[in-house]
Amino acid sequence: MSRRRRLASEFTAAWKAFLRRRTAVFFTFFFPAIIVVIFGALVGTRPTGGGLFAQPPGYYVPGYLAVVVLFTPLSRVGSEVARHREGRRFEKLATTPLRRWEWLLAQTLVNVVVIGLTALLLLGLTAAITPATIPLDPAALLLVPFVVAGVALFCGVGAVLGGLADSQDGVIAASNALAFPLLFLSEAFLTPDMLPAWLRPAMAASPVSLFARGVRALTFDPAAAGPLGVPGALAALAAVAAVGLVAGAVSIPRTD
Amino acid sequence: MNDVVVAEDLRKTYGDVCALDGVSLSVAPGEVFGLIGPNGAGKTTLVRALTGTTPVEGTVRLLGGAPTAVDRDRIGLLPQSFAPASRLTPRELLTHYGGLYDEATDPASVLEAVGLADAADTWYEKLSGGQRRRACVGVALVNDPDVLFLDEPTTGIDPAGRRRLWDLIDGLAAGGTTVVLTSHSMAEIERLADRVALLADGRLLALDRPGALIETHAGESRVVVATAGTPEGSEAGDGRPPTGDGNAAAGDRTLPEGLAAAAADAGFDVEATPEGFVFEDVAAEEIGSVVDVLVDRGIEYDSLAWRQPGLEDVYLELTGDSFGMHRAGPSVEPTDPEEGELR
Repeated sequence: MSRRRRLASEFTAAWKAFLRRRTAVFFTFFFPAIIVVIFGALVGTRPTGGGLFAQPPGYYVPGYLAVVVLFTPLSRVGSEVARHREGRRFEKLATTPLRRWEWLLAQTLVNVVVIGLTALLLLGLTAAITPATIPLDPAALLLVPFVVAGVALFCGVGAVLGGLADSQDGVIAASNALAFPLLFLSEAFLTPDMLPAWLRPAMAASPVSLFARGVRALTFDPAAAGPLGVPGALAALAAVAAVGLVAGAVSIPRTD
Repeated sequence: MNDVVVAEDLRKTYGDVCALDGVSLSVAPGEVFGLIGPNGAGKTTLVRALTGTTPVEGTVRLLGGAPTAVDRDRIGLLPQSFAPASRLTPRELLTHYGGLYDEATDPASVLEAVGLADAADTWYEKLSGGQRRRACVGVALVNDPDVLFLDEPTTGIDPAGRRRLWDLIDGLAAGGTTVVLTSHSMAEIERLADRVALLADGRLLALDRPGALIETHAGESRVVVATAGTPEGSEAGDGRPPTGDGNAAAGDRTLPEGLAAAAADAGFDVEATPEGFVFEDVAAEEIGSVVDVLVDRGIEYDSLAWRQPGLEDVYLELTGDSFGMHRAGPSVEPTDPEEGELR
């Protein structure tokens, strides 16, 4: 009961604090809209022409989702850690019953809600303005645990970045430097044959690839999950997310 | 009764900087314990050590156990420069931090206690500096702690708000709460603390009751006579070079001829300082005698102030941080009419 009370209190405070930063709210939801409009509607795809967008439109849905699942929690949690450090809030929290992992879990729950809503917006826009179709069947509900696991993983990584960087600016720079290669050296937008052979093992092992395969199997091609299948990809992603959360919780500082 | 806070031989370094150098102290239940010292003296590091938020060498016992193992419902902390979420209101902040404990005080009563009832629903970022600090003090109080650590709680708070917080701390201590308080306001520490520790360069220079420290280190009460301009005269104040660590003004001021002798006849030592002529060891009932000496010597003066030594004198004496002003008047705000300035 006490733990639930602490989590609820931390969640409520973090949620209110987010909603009242209007610029952050606007761009959190505007960002995926830009992605879909540019890459889904304006650029379009040429299934027979080769190049970056050579696959059918539905192939890129996991990429759009990966953008928000990857970038948003990395920068949001990293910045939140930096803000807490600058305001000496961790020093205060260290003398309360709230544990570091509870703090991170509360932040993760906020991000799950925020990014869940963003993902819904993104899928709706994709269906509305691009040729891709989004299946509306019970199996599509499995997208939820994929998004949750992906968000949890990158909340943990964001906490690690926040613990290492010495300022909010540093966190943003570090999260961008990490997110771009993770996104574009994975199977979110690219097929393995588009990268050099020596890079493909890393691409295959990337957690973003696990996420992309699972989501692609649910929204585009059931065979896309690969040898692990959807449950296997989800289990592997969840395991990596658990490691990320633990690393994030451990790296949260107690003081400066 | 067991001490609530015990620190033995605490040591802490940050690179080449020694933040704590063998500090030992203890705080009794219900005691208000003041920590004073120059910037960088180690006060905040000591508070962190006592609350278990930074590792140190040595032994710390808080409520009988290691500070990291203590029941966190029983301690409250206001860190220095604490800044909570800027777009929550004081009421929401208290609800938030109160929600982290099994039991918490009603936010409305805490807001009333810290004088923020009227601004309870204003975003923190829109509060004045003093209101913000009061909200932060409220956050430290919300779990009704047995031991309360306040690191510079009244920074930026106006005099009325400060006195309100002093009364609040008095009330908490009277109710049995142990308070460890750091401050740069000597008036605050002198007013609130049962005992005071003076830190400098990570070392504990003195620890005692404020009155005992003043008696030991700050000298006697004195009368300061301010005159217009620098008096002419050939007689040095007490035969010593003017004090003041090279302060030019101190070197310019000398005693009028015959004043030192007349003061001695009346039983006083007098010396020239940048702020005026200082008659040492003058009891309140002897002020008239000082006036008589001045009148006899035909000395006109702008003001005459009788000052009791305070904690600030102790601070300046022990830290050597005198700003070139020997025995500068303490900033202690008079609480007794007899301590006021006489004009």
